[in-house]
Amino acid sequence: MGSFLTSRFITYLLGGISSGVVIALVALSLVIIWKSTHVLNFAQGAMGMFAAFVGMNLVFKGTNYWLCVLLSLAVGLALGGVTERVLIRPLYGKPEINPIVVMVGFLGVIESAIPSIWHSNLLPVPTPFSQVYYQNNGHTILISPFVIFQVVLALGIMGGVALLFQYTNLGLKMRAAALAPEVSRLLGVRVNRLLTLGWILSSGVGAMAGVIVSSGQSLAATNMDGIFVSAFIAAAVGGLESPIGAITGGLLIGVTESFILGYWSSNMAPLAGVIVLVISLAIRPQGIFTRNITRRV
Amino acid sequence: MIHVEDLSVSYGAVKALRNVTMSAPTGRITAVLGTNGAGKTTLLRAISGLVKPSSGTIHCNTTALVGMATDEIARFGVGHVPEGRGVIAEFTIEENLRLGVLASKIDANEGLERQFELFPVLGERRKQYASTLSGGERQMLAMARALIARPSFLLLDEPSLGLAPQVTAEMMRTISSLCTMEDLTVILVEQNAKSALRIAHEAVVLHLGSVIASGTAETVGDDSDLRRYYLGLVQ
Amino acid sequence: MKRLLLLRTSYPTSSRLVATVVLAVLGVAITFTLTALDDSKLAGGAAIAIVIVGLSWLIGWSGQVSLGNSGFMAIGAYATAIWANHHTTTPIIFTLLLATACGAVGGLILALPSTRLRGPYLAGMTLAFSFAIAPLALNFPSLTGGSGGLFLNFLSAPTWFVNLFSGSQALIRANAQWTADVAIVVTAVAFFFMANLFHSRTGRAMRLVRDNDVAAELAGVNLQRTRTLAFAISAAYAGLGGSLLTLLTGSVTPQTYSLPLSILLLTLMVLGGIGTLSGAVIGGLIYSYSDNLVSLINKTTGISPTSTFGANLKGIVFGVLLILTMLLAPRGLVGMGSRLTSLVRRPARES
Repeated sequence: MGSFLTSRFITYLLGGISSGVVIALVALSLVIIWKSTHVLNFAQGAMGMFAAFVGMNLVFKGTNYWLCVLLSLAVGLALGGVTERVLIRPLYGKPEINPIVVMVGFLGVIESAIPSIWHSNLLPVPTPFSQVYYQNNGHTILISPFVIFQVVLALGIMGGVALLFQYTNLGLKMRAAALAPEVSRLLGVRVNRLLTLGWILSSGVGAMAGVIVSSGQSLAATNMDGIFVSAFIAAAVGGLESPIGAITGGLLIGVTESFILGYWSSNMAPLAGVIVLVISLAIRPQGIFTRNITRRV
Repeated sequence: MIHVEDLSVSYGAVKALRNVTMSAPTGRITAVLGTNGAGKTTLLRAISGLVKPSSGTIHCNTTALVGMATDEIARFGVGHVPEGRGVIAEFTIEENLRLGVLASKIDANEGLERQFELFPVLGERRKQYASTLSGGERQMLAMARALIARPSFLLLDEPSLGLAPQVTAEMMRTISSLCTMEDLTVILVEQNAKSALRIAHEAVVLHLGSVIASGTAETVGDDSDLRRYYLGLVQ
Repeated sequence: MKRLLLLRTSYPTSSRLVATVVLAVLGVAITFTLTALDDSKLAGGAAIAIVIVGLSWLIGWSGQVSLGNSGFMAIGAYATAIWANHHTTTPIIFTLLLATACGAVGGLILALPSTRLRGPYLAGMTLAFSFAIAPLALNFPSLTGGSGGLFLNFLSAPTWFVNLFSGSQALIRANAQWTADVAIVVTAVAFFFMANLFHSRTGRAMRLVRDNDVAAELAGVNLQRTRTLAFAISAAYAGLGGSLLTLLTGSVTPQTYSLPLSILLLTLMVLGGIGTLSGAVIGGLIYSYSDNLVSLINKTTGISPTSTFGANLKGIVFGVLLILTMLLAPRGLVGMGSRLTSLVRRPARES
């Protein structure tokens, strides 16, 4: 049993799951925005990282970790709302490349702004839980209290989002506004507000992903770039419309990349993601978790 | 009552409505008739704020609607059952109805029970997805969803579309009794002039975006030229 | 610039050829008046303009977004460096064509699955590709030189050209100007082909696909083949641009061809004007003089270029410019220019 838990296979699997939950979280946040406003937010990772910077930098100054997490969350929520109002709202009804280009520009702005606001700091962000891996007969199992915390937090957020969408009136309205905006308006639903709310929620989830990624590591503006790409692949494989698909896809990509990284080379992991995407889209362009939908003419 | 004055709507170069003036008196059913492309749907969409008129005014009693957002108009008390019914197939019947009541001040559960009394078939299948409903049942659901917020005005766009004649007749009876029971001001857009005129009190005939006749349902229905050329009713 | 605009109107190929030759000669003549520094800046801008016009064609004419053109540039760049290091005597035209072909093949491979996808999916897929290219280069150090990259002999002027110059700086000036002239000629040829492509059957089919793919399909246009072709051509131009840039600088490193470059390409294209030849030229010129632009901002605002803010100023400025252009003037500088001239010419029609 001990040797099984410390085997290479299990080690890579565990590593894959712990990075997969973060990918899944970002993928979920992409799906929330996609469903409500049909925008693929290329700045999602960078926005989450910005929020993480605001909070996590204070951890170094001795501020309570949980307080800093809440601050990051608040910044993330606010940033999402402002972004939708200022950058996205003017582009509704414009060609679909316009919001893509604008968000790519925003990505560039954030990734240049972060290092110009905060001095580079190579120290890892202190965490409230031990990062020491558990041992079994002198062999390392790739789990620490901190990893458990990361996974539990990510799963908790996903669960919370699922409950919100499935079982609350607000969730019902948000789903309706995404599925049938005009009908929702005719029923008195404030659709514009809900679109903003979708961005707020999504950006909040992205900020939490940024916090999870940054805790225990040194902060860098581009920390989320690779995760964003993986998350996009996960969401696209799942069909961009499906939260369940995004989460499953995120875990699958995380584990796949971890195996490639472990058994082959870390340099090949990004290419593996592209290949997974190419194959899955060649087989099912509309996504594995999406029902066949005929495009309206 | 709903009063439309000198209303014009354009889609680009195409004029969908030209200086339309009409009234729908309180507590009565006003049928808006005409062939395809006459501008009937555009009229309803303009009242609900879904299209912006290029000129003219729309009043619900004393409130001016032009310039208000669609969701504001809905919360003000205008229920609109759109063409094709707008039932959200991915939602259950109950979720569809709940969506209708959320924006109003009415208690959701009370509202649901009321609609299930009015439309028992919906109550029996409340947990089923709307995609499982037949055309007639979907129309019931769409009307129930509009009525659950207790609107004072109800806009119905082609409720008989795609329904069997018997179901259409039943639908029209339901609309008629709802109008009396709930003291609704109804604008009923129909291509099916025959069944609409059977329950309507007033009637307006649109042709190519202009009003060509209006009056009581009897006078419009008795005009032989209108019947022949615009309403498709051959004696 | 006026001549370039002329290229856009539907004159026959022969007049486009004349315009191209005139412009190329004009460009080469200008290099004789420039300093060595300006010449090398211009050469870099010309190489980038080739990439931009390929991207502009893809986005402006076929309506597909690619964030992967930095990856195709890398393919062209590595192909050039690897080839040139093994075959030092190959004429440069052959090296350039080889790199172009490599770019096209790369584009074709990526396009086959992804052109079935639309807008955001394609953009994301190409982003993932451009993200994977640098690590891929790192993974095969024996071929690519790993993180240090590859070095090659950069372009040097032939003897007869050096002999045109005199003085102590003769060789430096001759080399700088020679690279600029080569770059200008290559760019002129690339633009000539693109100008013809814009007005070809394929070009028209492409526009139809962009504006209404259903109508295009009904009109008998093969959507997938048209989109794949557009993508491969764009990748070929990126490969050519990457190759030229490598020949100019004499080196290739994986870090050069990463996400920020893709963002920069997109920015330059949007700033110039999507889907136009003159927009791509403007984009290339902005690239040439972007450092001057940034130092101008440094001077006027007093932001020290060594401060953390100053060091990141370029990224911020370009990002903000990209956003503002897209929100306020989505047709870029070319669009603003033509709006201005039409305002001057026909003030009455505006009312």
